[in-house]
Amino acid sequence: MNSEWEGLVMRKKYVFIVLYLLLVLAGCSQNESNDSEMALIKKTDPKPVLIDKKTKGNVDVAADIKKEITSYKELYDVAVVKGTEDTLVVYKVKHLQRFHMKKIEKKIKGMLEKKFPDEKFTVSSDYKIFLEAIKLKEKMEKPDYSEEEANKRLKEIIKLKKEMA
Amino acid sequence: MADKKKKNMTPAQQKYQGLQQKHELKRPIFKNCLRAFWVGGLICTIGQAVTYFYIYFFNFTEQTAGNPTVATMVFFSMLLTGFGVYDHLGQYAGAGSAVPVTGFGNAVISAAIEHRTEGFVLGVGGNMFKLAGSVILFGVFSAFVVALIKTVLIQWGVL
Repeated sequence: MNSEWEGLVMRKKYVFIVLYLLLVLAGCSQNESNDSEMALIKKTDPKPVLIDKKTKGNVDVAADIKKEITSYKELYDVAVVKGTEDTLVVYKVKHLQRFHMKKIEKKIKGMLEKKFPDEKFTVSSDYKIFLEAIKLKEKMEKPDYSEEEANKRLKEIIKLKKEMA
Repeated sequence: MADKKKKNMTPAQQKYQGLQQKHELKRPIFKNCLRAFWVGGLICTIGQAVTYFYIYFFNFTEQTAGNPTVATMVFFSMLLTGFGVYDHLGQYAGAGSAVPVTGFGNAVISAAIEHRTEGFVLGVGGNMFKLAGSVILFGVFSAFVVALIKTVLIQWGVL
């Protein structure tokens, strides 16, 4: 009986040590400043990303798109990536509004195509696509990441969005 | 139904039933619900974490991450059943551990373990899906019916 009790106490000790170590490790990782690490949990609100920075007017268009979409009450985080051909628009839907996700997507796509007829839009509310958009933005901040590479990655992301199973 | 049964009983049987009802322990329904709620919720939270794991570290979107998540959860429950942990969990949580997809894995493996002594082919192979077979059958059939309704609705332009 006594040894059994001691074993239980020892086991509890180990559990506490492991929990303590986990807490310490979790605390250490707080200082990382990459947005993509917390993009699934926290609101990141990234600035619109432009792949083709040379063409004039692109900055305004991207900013306008972001402004239009942010005005929707159902959404809380919007990322816009404007490539040379395609424009990717990703957003997070508020939890209780997630029941109407398809309707919201249809509404936003219709509105965008009406207001910006020259652009080719891909609209998504998927967390993975949002995460990839943030990752692309972070990659583009590095000086050695070329425009072609960014465009290629954007196409890959759009392809991923269209995948169903 | 119950009244009809009672009429067919002899007076001694009726008396016995009354006595039995008096001494029967009341089921703690509220406590059972509470346990099922928190254990079922915990299993679903783990499932959500697995989904996020696949979204974060692999090329799965929210749409496609469901498949590997289900497979992983069933695999976990199979391991836990094999080690004898899931039995205790099932005893404690009841429906909370049986309704999520982990309950499916438990049903497969516990049947396989039970009939292992009868050999691999007729024992394990023949009895593995004794319980889970009906889940698969009705799952596939109801999916077929829902898909049929959806197809008809789309054809009609309702959806």
